[in-house]
Amino acid sequence: MATTTLAPTAPTYRTGLYAWLTTTDHKKIGVLYVVNSFLFFFIGGLLALGVRTELAAPGLQFLTDTQYNEFFTMHATFMIFLFIIPMLAGFSNYVVPLQIGAPDMAFPRINALSFWMLPLGGILLLLGFVTGGTAAAGWTSYAPLSEDRPLAATGYGQDLWIMALVLIGTSSILGAINFLVTIFKMRAPGMTLFRMPILVWTVVVTSVLVLMATPVITSVLIMLFIDRNYGGSFFQPPGGDPILYQNIFWFYSHPAVYVMILPAMGFISEILPVFSRKPLFGYKAFVFATAAIGALGFSVWAHHMFTTGAVYLPFFSIMTFLIAVPTGVKMFNWVFTMWRGQLMLKTPLLFALGFLTMFLIGGINGAFSASVPVDFALHDTYWVVAHLHYVLFGGSVFGVMAATYYWFPKMTGRMLNETVGKAQFVLMFIGFNATFFPMHQLGLLGMPRRIADYASNTGWQDLNIVATIGGFTIAASMVLFLWNVFLSLRSGPVAGDDPWEANTLEWATTSPPPAYNFDRLPEIRSERPLFDVRHGRTSVH
Amino acid sequence: MASSPRSSTTQTALFAIALAGAIVGVFLILAYLGVNLLDEGGRFVSSLYPPVAVTTQGAQIRDLYTIVFVLAVAIFLVVEGLIIWTVIRYRRKPGDDALPPQTHGNNIAEFLWTIIPTIIVIFLFIVSWQTLNAVDTASANVQTKIRAVAAQFQWQFDYLADDGNTVEYTQFLPTAEIGGGMYVPAGRTIQLQLVSKDVIHAFYVPQFLFKRDVVPGRTNVFDFTVNESDAGQTFRGQCAELCGTGHSIMLFDVVAKTGAEFDTWLADNIKKASAAPAPPSGQPAPSGQPAPSGQPAPSGQPAPSGQPAPSGQPQPSAGGGGGGGGQAVNIEAEGIKFNESSVTAPADQPFTIHFENKDQGTPHNVAIREGSPSGNQIFMGDIFPGVATRDYQVPALKAGQYAFVCDVHPNMTGTLTVQ
Repeated sequence: MATTTLAPTAPTYRTGLYAWLTTTDHKKIGVLYVVNSFLFFFIGGLLALGVRTELAAPGLQFLTDTQYNEFFTMHATFMIFLFIIPMLAGFSNYVVPLQIGAPDMAFPRINALSFWMLPLGGILLLLGFVTGGTAAAGWTSYAPLSEDRPLAATGYGQDLWIMALVLIGTSSILGAINFLVTIFKMRAPGMTLFRMPILVWTVVVTSVLVLMATPVITSVLIMLFIDRNYGGSFFQPPGGDPILYQNIFWFYSHPAVYVMILPAMGFISEILPVFSRKPLFGYKAFVFATAAIGALGFSVWAHHMFTTGAVYLPFFSIMTFLIAVPTGVKMFNWVFTMWRGQLMLKTPLLFALGFLTMFLIGGINGAFSASVPVDFALHDTYWVVAHLHYVLFGGSVFGVMAATYYWFPKMTGRMLNETVGKAQFVLMFIGFNATFFPMHQLGLLGMPRRIADYASNTGWQDLNIVATIGGFTIAASMVLFLWNVFLSLRSGPVAGDDPWEANTLEWATTSPPPAYNFDRLPEIRSERPLFDVRHGRTSVH
Repeated sequence: MASSPRSSTTQTALFAIALAGAIVGVFLILAYLGVNLLDEGGRFVSSLYPPVAVTTQGAQIRDLYTIVFVLAVAIFLVVEGLIIWTVIRYRRKPGDDALPPQTHGNNIAEFLWTIIPTIIVIFLFIVSWQTLNAVDTASANVQTKIRAVAAQFQWQFDYLADDGNTVEYTQFLPTAEIGGGMYVPAGRTIQLQLVSKDVIHAFYVPQFLFKRDVVPGRTNVFDFTVNESDAGQTFRGQCAELCGTGHSIMLFDVVAKTGAEFDTWLADNIKKASAAPAPPSGQPAPSGQPAPSGQPAPSGQPAPSGQPAPSGQPQPSAGGGGGGGGQAVNIEAEGIKFNESSVTAPADQPFTIHFENKDQGTPHNVAIREGSPSGNQIFMGDIFPGVATRDYQVPALKAGQYAFVCDVHPNMTGTLTVQ
């Protein structure tokens, strides 16, 4: 049966750029989020190339040590706060109201406000480059280094960084409230909680994490600002305590790791069933595993602080180990979703498989750091850099690319090119492993992270050269991606409503969907309403 | 289902054979090119291992690493193999039109892959905890007490008396290249206290398989014992917590000696230190007012004619007017930097460097190297903590370009022009 719906004829008196600047439509805001996030992904990526170029050979050739510290600090800041978190929020913003059959988010104007805080925060961060130096104390900005103007940063960059992060955090909090209200109050008739698509569940858990954790980092940022500018004594001895900063910072920033991965897990859980032509294996187990990760995520923050000598080690060690259990449940559910299916090896599935294989490594090498004595050897070395990139790049970025190839036809009405997409995947997969696998070995050899230079007799250069070549390979894969987007927007094949034979409601409307999304909805009897329609189990009213 | 299972099995078998053939082919080509695969494989596996530990504690951590590593590799191979097998076996083939079985889940499977990983991680936790209790514990019979003092961007090592507080000797030179390093007696239990003067640093020696943060406002302590068989070796260490612009140069060495050698070394140094009381550090001169010993006060004395004043230093140089041909070059250190980027000295005659260290409690010196900061060291002044001044008597140098550096802080450099 055809599932096409009629577009309601809303008056459209805003056109062109003005329409985009003033929109409160969740789909346009979602696209703005995605475009803005890709922009900062490229800025952060260029900074990473600067870091990799400098490390290719011993000696300081390309950057000064101050610039080097600025580059890796801003690389991580852009990638975490202006790429991964908003990118996942952007796709969720676009897809979640559609998937639950809602016309828009619950608070459309707050939705617009949440978005517009992001470019503002980005501009504040970028201003550091022209006001005498950006923040340079790492994205963690540990006190007292981040309080010490002469040697941490030369200008006002650290203060700009604090202001930008408070803005971006406020944006996240508003977005989380919006998601929760939308999901709990605006589901279509028949969409019970256990018929919600898994992506919607991951957004629920993510929003709870954001709501509970983000105010905490806002407080620590304000304390840091007071310490820096008005002589507070929160984090500088005597009187203050640098360890206090780390406890509060990680109380947010570890849950933030799950904010950066759970929606990506949701993307994968949407894509694998569609391209396997099977339902998700163990839907409820998956929901409970997601909730368990969210809950455990609040009890592991101090595993970032095992070497401080100020942590009750066994508690944080066992909690960190335990988080592997729900993560493992998800991994097996994904694999058994594909088991005995009919895998269509299209680009979205390839990136989803990239996620599975690489996130597996990122999960396993995390167990090394959960073992406290092993962490004594590995902490703050390149091993940790490898681990976090296997999770955040091998996991989240591959998930974002899968989502991009999957939902691009819905967002634009046009397909991306499969051949270019596959080439991009191969290049990115090789480049990713060439960049980050050698970092395990570098860390074991004893190369600390965040060093601008190393001596030629350390034996670290060969592995660093491989990593640098890998970094440029990733950059090349992103050029292919941009080329693909350009090709598609210019002359890509028209997608139609449902190019993938998908399961969820966003494919029950036109591509791109009209304002307010649906004129009519299919009956919702399971978590796969469109599957039911396609196979005659339900009908469109 | 509708498609014949036989043909799809045959297809998969063919695909698997082709894949295996390709892998064997690659191996044969590599073997033909003379790549010894066993050696390469062994090298790869050992590159996934930390260095051989030189402390008893590090050896225990390495044993624990082996347990974690073996389990990790096993889990990786099983799951990754399962994924790859699934993708190859269950890819969609021509004729796969009917839906595959719509399996929604299996509670026994969910139970198994919850409970088995739980058992594995609890096992890992228990062995980790046991190792932790063995390696991170205060020893009852500490034989040597040392305090590492970290500051941007240097280490110094205080050798403490038995009370764990009185400093008997301070090693200002952090690395072996400049004749220093943290000397330790191999085979004895050493207690290391970690103290920071400014921001957070981390004491990290890769061959110890251990690091501990150096946090301002608190004293972290840990014990270690270097294997007796490793006496005579030097182990490179490095700050592992970002501490500012000079983070990457914050190096040190641990120099392992036999117990007897160490005792002699320490006794000699204590004797030397008490025989020559360092006058400037004992009574710091107020900054900006040099108090050179054996030099006339520089009050209002103009720069001697015939010699250009050191560039970048417009103040009158402290004159060595009374000395036989000696000319003074002024250098100041402040904020872990030299205030002068270049100075000038006369050729072919001895001269004096009047060095003022304005950094409270931070040791500096001036050393002269040929050509560039990485050239051969041809003169090394005493290292002393600020605020204080010293006059270094430098032997005659040939005309040319030299570099002056601080041995403690390799990022502190400048140019010395001898003409």
